[in-house]
Amino acid sequence: MSAARSTLAGAVVATLRRDLLIAYKRKNDLFNPFMFFVLVATLFPIGISPEPEALGEISAGVLWISALLASLLAMDNLYRADFEDGSLELLMLSPHPLYFLVLAKNFAHWLVSGLPIVLVSPLIAYMLNFPEGAYSTLVLTLLLGTPVLSLLGSIGVALTVGLGSRGLILAVITLPMSVPVLIAGTLTVSQTLEGASLSGYLAIMGAMLVAALTLAPLASAAALRISVN
Amino acid sequence: MDWTWFHKWGSPKWFYELSGKWLPWLVGAMVTCLLIGVTWALLFVPQDYQQGLTNRIFYVHVPVASISLAFFPLMAMAGTIFLVWRMKLADVVVKVAAPLGAWFTALALASGSIWGVDTWGTWWVWDGRLTSLLLQFFLLLGVVSLRTALEDSEGAARACALLSIVGCINVVVIKYSVDWWNTLHQPSTNFTLATDQANGPEIWVPLIFMIVAVYLFFAISLILSTRNEILQREKRAQWVRDLVAKS
Repeated sequence: MSAARSTLAGAVVATLRRDLLIAYKRKNDLFNPFMFFVLVATLFPIGISPEPEALGEISAGVLWISALLASLLAMDNLYRADFEDGSLELLMLSPHPLYFLVLAKNFAHWLVSGLPIVLVSPLIAYMLNFPEGAYSTLVLTLLLGTPVLSLLGSIGVALTVGLGSRGLILAVITLPMSVPVLIAGTLTVSQTLEGASLSGYLAIMGAMLVAALTLAPLASAAALRISVN
Repeated sequence: MDWTWFHKWGSPKWFYELSGKWLPWLVGAMVTCLLIGVTWALLFVPQDYQQGLTNRIFYVHVPVASISLAFFPLMAMAGTIFLVWRMKLADVVVKVAAPLGAWFTALALASGSIWGVDTWGTWWVWDGRLTSLLLQFFLLLGVVSLRTALEDSEGAARACALLSIVGCINVVVIKYSVDWWNTLHQPSTNFTLATDQANGPEIWVPLIFMIVAVYLFFAISLILSTRNEILQREKRAQWVRDLVAKS
């Protein structure tokens, strides 16, 4: 496809397809975040208490923290392979705004690493004796919150993509920034259980998602330009 | 409009010479304010009817906590100046402000804990303001460690400037979300000019001296570390060599 003929929508779809295809060929990327999520959630009953009541009380937090850690772990392969084989540079040379290409990459990454976690969360929630009546809220908040985690994490990865060993520094940069999402997610679940109206809480999570969608790819794109320079 | 005043800031040498002239004045003003503030606050301010003598740490905690909130806006501003105009001095400020901010934040947390152990009966609670200040501390350490990890100075400078801007926005979001989550900390107090009110001038005038003293202390530390960093970076420049030869 020559640059003259390619449209912005075409470029976005091509980036999306390419990333999904790569993920499909490398099944590890598809499977690992999901496995990590289940494993971390399993550690809590073992580490804290197998009592159903105690577990039920902390289950929302456990699920959110596991999702946060899984998303952090998965972030690493968002740009790394592309940086190493040079395709990231080609992406940046394309005539289309990097904002949309970054957004496409983030969306593909979330489909691969975030969505499976959201889908499996009711099962893990059941195992943790999650209180009945908040399942739909849990899935809904995770659905709104995990993309925000991916978008925020993308900034950190983009800043550190040139580094050899970056496991910890990525966590140090990204985890404090993820706190508002964690608070909004767990608070929404606990408010549902108290019978409060959900619309306000979901609106705040929605606002976080919209703000992250509009601002985070800009920061990621700027960070990529700095790192790949 | 004449922009020469702005371009002058692009010259580290100019700043080094100018700040050298400011420093004695700043130090003198700081020592004066600190002496007045400390004596007044510790000896002459009436005791709080509930908290007794413990309340006097208020005069340390409030200035330090308020200055620690200024670091992210400062770094974001300097970072923007660096990204837009490529001004080296702005990057020096971003670099030295991060560890300094972490120290001030740690001081605010420590003085707050000491106050809290007497009034709340505990060194630490997961209260909104404490938590958001702790997270700000982590974010500042994140900026410091990003700078250390990216050794390449030009890339590290731009990356840290960007992270400071992102962090500044994030600190605001964190602050509101954490307040919304859990709050025990007393809200900001309104002070009044009337002498018969609870928070009259005899309470807040020494506080103003302390706030000015701590702000001056902050300015002096920032200038000193900026000068230090300038000398480090410009060590091959002729004016630095002349300076070293003279001393």
